[in-house]
Amino acid sequence: MKNVILVLSGFMIAGLIIGTYFYHNQASATLPQPNQPNDLQENTTLPDEQEQPQPEPLQPVNNDTITYTLQNDELNITFNNGNDWVKVPIEKDQLFEGEYNGNKQELIENSYMLTENRVAFIYSDGVDLEGKRIRLIYSSDQGITWKESVVIEPFPPMRFRKVDFLNDQFGYAIISGDRTMSQEYSRAFITHDGGETWEATAESPTTRLIAFGGFVDETTGFLSYGTINPEEPDVYVTQDSGETWNEAVFNMPVKYNRVFVQAEVPVKEEDHLVVLVNQGPNGDYKGGLVKGEFISEDNGLTWNFSAEVQPNETE
Amino acid sequence: MKRNKNRLMKRIGWILFLCAIGFFGLQMGYLLIQDRYQVEYIDNRLFYIINIFCVICLSLAILLLLKLTKRFKLIGTIVVGIFMIIQIVLLVDSDRKINNITSVSPNFKHVFSIKENRDSGESFYYRSYYGILARPKESLPYEIAEDYKVEWLAKDVAAFTYETAENTIQQFIATYGDRGGGIAYYYVGAEMQGVWQGENVEVISDPDGITVTENGRSELFEWENIHQFGTLAIVLKKNNEAAWTISLDDNFVVHSDALEDKVGNIRLYKATMEKNQPIKLQYQASY
Repeated sequence: MKNVILVLSGFMIAGLIIGTYFYHNQASATLPQPNQPNDLQENTTLPDEQEQPQPEPLQPVNNDTITYTLQNDELNITFNNGNDWVKVPIEKDQLFEGEYNGNKQELIENSYMLTENRVAFIYSDGVDLEGKRIRLIYSSDQGITWKESVVIEPFPPMRFRKVDFLNDQFGYAIISGDRTMSQEYSRAFITHDGGETWEATAESPTTRLIAFGGFVDETTGFLSYGTINPEEPDVYVTQDSGETWNEAVFNMPVKYNRVFVQAEVPVKEEDHLVVLVNQGPNGDYKGGLVKGEFISEDNGLTWNFSAEVQPNETE
Repeated sequence: MKRNKNRLMKRIGWILFLCAIGFFGLQMGYLLIQDRYQVEYIDNRLFYIINIFCVICLSLAILLLLKLTKRFKLIGTIVVGIFMIIQIVLLVDSDRKINNITSVSPNFKHVFSIKENRDSGESFYYRSYYGILARPKESLPYEIAEDYKVEWLAKDVAAFTYETAENTIQQFIATYGDRGGGIAYYYVGAEMQGVWQGENVEVISDPDGITVTENGRSELFEWENIHQFGTLAIVLKKNNEAAWTISLDDNFVVHSDALEDKVGNIRLYKATMEKNQPIKLQYQASY
């Protein structure tokens, strides 16, 4: 018994001595840290925050061979799956100017073009509303040299933006802006010299919100309207490189009335054009994702229903 | 008789030994959990004091329980003596670095605690848990100069009045309760709307602010200069300096219906470094 008490006592005194050592070092070395930061705390932590963050290694946003990343607040592109990176001489925020609600982790869909022979990014600069202009930065040698051109100036804050090139010389840009409620200004621009100079096509005949748009060749282009509650496809077509825009006619089977309401971008197939018409944001026909395929034999003026397309077929 | 005495001594010895084990367990437990739960002793000196108590209990227990040789007694006394001296030296050293300001509420339910780092001048208000543990809650906006005092305005409201390095007087109010159901936040200034009277003072809370009349001299504090702490007290400020604290007494009842008569008292406490008592105010009328 005596030994047990003595061993236990010795153990306790040793424990207390070691504990005191740790406690004292700690208590005198650390300041109390409150759970809620406040003014005092913010001031004391400021120097740390001012230190430059270490740049993180660049990770491509997807698995494509030619892709990009927006890490470190800059735009870098790669042509070989992320092994080598080229920095695009542009401020990240300029790529998201205008109406954009997102986390700026990925570029706005269609606002850029990334191919082996040509990369192009549409953006906006200028400080005030009047001084804002729409510009294109592009390179045809994989980012060794960059060129910039003005698509239009001035232009109100952008909403819809799309840029694409059909070949080395011909390209188009479709942009919209100055939206008020569900009305806005939208216009298509084309270039015949690889993006150096741009010319505006005719005024678009409607102020509805543009949903899709594109050219299938140098003379034929489409603008598709209606994004909020479209009731039928509202498509304008040009067959003279944008000199005039004419309303396209959709011969909608009664069964699909108010079902297929929003036309996407037509594509050329053999001797005719094909467009998919989707159900808009509120469609619920067969789950809402089924699209209607329409065919035009007269280069886009009239469209006739061809088939229902299951969502996985459209991928 | 002697056997009885011996048995009593043994019993006391065992009790002391168990106490020592208890203190030891407390200290080790504290060292283990303090990091994980970010708790500290409410007063940093407690650690050393508990150590000293633990060793005192242990020494007495051994003396009562065991028959020791002279040599062993000598070695034991030296060990315990050195241990105590080290603890006291460390306690003083700790106190030199961190100034602990603690005050126990009149009903012994809450402990007000502020720790001031004497080197940097930063002070932190600690919220107490289980009486002896505490967590840092917020830091005081101003550095505490030498002078300060703690006054409990109610059993759950502690007013900490201190002089800052810039020679202004500030008040920090720690609150540990609520006068409503504890469900909703309410504004003290709005709850005490009306005219309140006390010895030589009158307080009027109306839409413009709070007017304090002391010995015939009136002063209006606009709402933007009134800072609420918890749901029990407000500090009226003038020129970025605390002037008065108003707290709700234990008997104050918060009504959701403002038309009902006010029930209870409020307490007015002047921000001054001189010794003063809070003044109890009675509800007189609506303004």
